[in-house]
Amino acid sequence: MIPLRIKVDANADEPFVVRLRSFEGSVAGDIPIALDARDVVLERVSDAAEYRGEGGCIRVHGIDPSQIDGDVLLVNPHRGSADRLVRASSPHNTFLVTERCDQLCVMCSQPPKAHHVDLFAHFEAAALLAPEGATIGISGGEPTLYKEELLNFLVQTMGKRTDLRFHILTNGQHFDELDMPMMRSLERERIVWGVPLYCRSPEVHDEIVGKQGAHARLVETLGFLCRAGAQIELRTVLMKRNAPGLTALARFITSTLPFIQTWAIMQLESIGYARQNWQRLFHDSSAEFDGVGRALDLVRSRGIEAQLYNFPLCTVPASYRHLAPPTISDWKRAYLDECRDCTIKDGCGGFFEWHPKKHGYAKLGAQS
Amino acid sequence: MKKRLFAIPSLLAAGFLPAETQALTIKPTFDDGNAKSLFDIFKLDHVYTLAGHRSHSSHRSHSSHRSHRSSTGGYSYRAPVYRAPAPAYSAPIYRAPAPAPTYQPPATAPAPAPLKVLPGNAQRFTEIVREVQFAMMAFGYYVGELDGVLGPDMRVALSKMQGDYGLKVTGTITPETLTALRIAAQ
Repeated sequence: MIPLRIKVDANADEPFVVRLRSFEGSVAGDIPIALDARDVVLERVSDAAEYRGEGGCIRVHGIDPSQIDGDVLLVNPHRGSADRLVRASSPHNTFLVTERCDQLCVMCSQPPKAHHVDLFAHFEAAALLAPEGATIGISGGEPTLYKEELLNFLVQTMGKRTDLRFHILTNGQHFDELDMPMMRSLERERIVWGVPLYCRSPEVHDEIVGKQGAHARLVETLGFLCRAGAQIELRTVLMKRNAPGLTALARFITSTLPFIQTWAIMQLESIGYARQNWQRLFHDSSAEFDGVGRALDLVRSRGIEAQLYNFPLCTVPASYRHLAPPTISDWKRAYLDECRDCTIKDGCGGFFEWHPKKHGYAKLGAQS
Repeated sequence: MKKRLFAIPSLLAAGFLPAETQALTIKPTFDDGNAKSLFDIFKLDHVYTLAGHRSHSSHRSHSSHRSHRSSTGGYSYRAPVYRAPAPAYSAPIYRAPAPAPTYQPPATAPAPAPLKVLPGNAQRFTEIVREVQFAMMAFGYYVGELDGVLGPDMRVALSKMQGDYGLKVTGTITPETLTALRIAAQ
């Protein structure tokens, strides 16, 4: 697994953001391509890699500089560690803006915590140092619990870096009409809002997210986002509880939410609460794909894009495989022993690193 | 007349090696005065600026279909008071290995410079590293895989070779090292 936190020595009072630059393999005179004040340049490597910048020096341990060139780090000098906020070589970079959440989903992969530390100033600095054309994910917890800070962050970074794009996950419980001017001012095509809706039935949805009235508030928010011109990626994690209602949900989407950009039907990620409740939650889509297939057919026949996220390719019938992109992020992707000689592995996102050994799929393998 | 020793990498690379493939520590000998060093003689014209020409990989194609964004583990930071601009900026202080080096976050955030070159594992970079590995192997400094990956063995080898040849010891692939190994970034 690709490490997201690395060991760093630095002497400073507060956390700070730096961008690592190596310039290895390049020729003399090539090095100062408009270095940023937050850039630190690789000087030498012995037992640790030493970088020097305008602000001083830092030392990085345990990972070769060639793997972290261009990365943006948030260094925590007191702990002697740094989070790789932006990995330059990866399309999967996410800022976790808070660990607080107002919902408590039965399959939550990252159970919320009450504690919150505002790191937006660091996120802004990091976003401005990201590689050209990067897409940055925003997640939590629930990011819109801090919607003022979030919207300000978006206005600032999108104004200063017109090449950046954002993908923001939100439960859609906190927007109100007062946010409309600011939402409209954000460039529509540069942000995708990922919003979860689990079932057409309010009872089932509210039960899954652990919050009364969440469904009603969410549908209202979807209308708000539509009027704001936002791109919406509707996300439905497939579980035993909501799998039977998938076709009804598809019908609801075609009739009431035809303005969405994409509908993502997602397989369960075995971590957090989902790991604890795996047997009770996991729906084996390889054994029962009919409902999923019908739901896909229905929305696609109405011109709405629909996709399967986190479905190992071989668990999907061949005629639907083109709808299953490799969505599992590089740093948490793994393959099983069974995958060794697979012929369609290249296009497959594999499994989550922490997927249980007893994976629960009745049908596995490209031949099936 | 002084005898001058030349290390001709192409011959070494072609297999004209001493019986023992140990580190060849042929140091350049200099005439007093203005004679060029071996490294100056062998210096190549680098027509290609590696860092400036790496292809940008477009991330856009991935943007619309992502997996969960959660479970990154969170960060642990204490009261994150961002340091206000310091009035006077002290020159960076480098300290020898023992204590942690000092870093003072820059006071100003000037025009942000987007990273135009995609670094690290770009294909061209891997090729350069493989060439360096091959040359280092020819000189007897490296016995690992020719895989284009920089790892601890290569770092040690680079430092050793740089020390032996009177180059600045960095453990990194410096322009000087490329020239010494007669590798052109083109």
